[in-house]
Amino acid sequence: MNAIELSHINKNFGAFAIQDLNLAVPSGTICGLVGENGAGKSTTIRLLMGALRPDSGTARVLGVDVSSPAFREAKEDIGVVMDEAYFPETMNAAQVGKMMALTYRRWDMGLYRQYLRRFELPEAKAFKDFSRGMRMKLAIAVALSHQPKLLVLDEATAGLDPIVRDEVLEIFNEFTREEDHSILISSHILSDLEKLCDYIAFIHQGRLLFCEEKDLLLEKYGILTDTAEQVEALRPEAVVAREPSGYGGVRCLVRRDLAPAGFQLERPTVEDIILFLVKGAKEQ
Amino acid sequence: MKALLMKDCYVLWKQMRIFILILLVFCLFNGSFGNLFVVIWASMMPYTAMAYDERSKWNQLAAMMPYSTRDIVLSKYALGWLLMVCALVLCLVVQTLARIAGSGLDAVAPSGYLLGLLAGILILNITLPLFFRFGVEKGRMWMFLLIILVCGATGALSSVTISVADGYASMAFQNSILAALVALDVVTTAISVPLSMRLCRAAQ
Repeated sequence: MNAIELSHINKNFGAFAIQDLNLAVPSGTICGLVGENGAGKSTTIRLLMGALRPDSGTARVLGVDVSSPAFREAKEDIGVVMDEAYFPETMNAAQVGKMMALTYRRWDMGLYRQYLRRFELPEAKAFKDFSRGMRMKLAIAVALSHQPKLLVLDEATAGLDPIVRDEVLEIFNEFTREEDHSILISSHILSDLEKLCDYIAFIHQGRLLFCEEKDLLLEKYGILTDTAEQVEALRPEAVVAREPSGYGGVRCLVRRDLAPAGFQLERPTVEDIILFLVKGAKEQ
Repeated sequence: MKALLMKDCYVLWKQMRIFILILLVFCLFNGSFGNLFVVIWASMMPYTAMAYDERSKWNQLAAMMPYSTRDIVLSKYALGWLLMVCALVLCLVVQTLARIAGSGLDAVAPSGYLLGLLAGILILNITLPLFFRFGVEKGRMWMFLLIILVCGATGALSSVTISVADGYASMAFQNSILAALVALDVVTTAISVPLSMRLCRAAQ
């Protein structure tokens, strides 16, 4: 079963549009959603959570159509962390906990307090006096404390220092040890996604360019650093995008299956692939 | 809905402490103005809660949680109703205690309390859909305009009902005004709540 299934979703805002978005995140996996600012990542998350109605297409999360009344019940199984923790500023962590106990039927106050202690969050301090990192940690604690099956994380690690970020990524990893637990995470920190994800979905100007298994993606492409003449000798469709590498050389992202044997190709990172793909899309 | 009401109470707690202090002062005014004032103030509390929601972008997070539009809308009406009733009960208690203590405060006719409550409900019914449609900033302008109109009308009615207490008008006339206001509140509530839900959904 797919934890998330978006099928032919269209949403037009005038200046920007989500176009024919198809995305499937298999249950038990972690999918990273990447793209530039304004590419449509947060809009996609709002669409799949039913917070925004599409002009056409269907969205199913945990097997439930998000436009159906039954989706409200399904939200009990979904933990969400948005790019900011949007709790009212005058509330404190203890009050947020009490409120969430009335919101989620399976709210675990003991677990919530454990997370507060683990993240060193004071219970009585007003939310407005929290740093950005503390706010995000509170949002993560809330998302994890009602026994969700799916985590939807929109820039959830932004603003966290590297040590806490690492700890949070470890928590997310622990979360997916249960085989029916899944995560959709959008982030600009591509190294985090490379560490964490099984699938990478790349969205550019409202279109999903690909959603592929990370390992297959890393095998599919290679980085070639050579002279301009050598690169020109390649089949044009083998070169996804290129950039000058200094001393007249060229560094380019190459499709391994279209490159002739004998070329020394480096293994790219997810960041390399995404940056070259964006560049390639802009050149076109 | 209980969770949303609890959230609003936490958010408004500081405001409520000031409100209770002012309520205690205004309750000790002779006549029904004090009662009317505190009830109208109480009816405005949901807008303050909405302003806090808007500032913290709470609605974006709430849309991701298992709250229905009905919960979100009804919680604001319920907050207004709850605070108006609490304000009136508190007024009644304070005024009764003050009279027992020999303050010389005139007794306010029950219709004076009822009138305040009905006026507050009417204001909520008319203005809350505007807030759901236009947001807090624009909705506030509409609200002030309506408060002036409703308070003016209620003041005129209040003078009639107080005159009734003094024996200048018939009890039947007073009752018919109150009955008309109750009917108006029932009708406007029946229109206002579904309209707010529709506007809230459209805003999503």
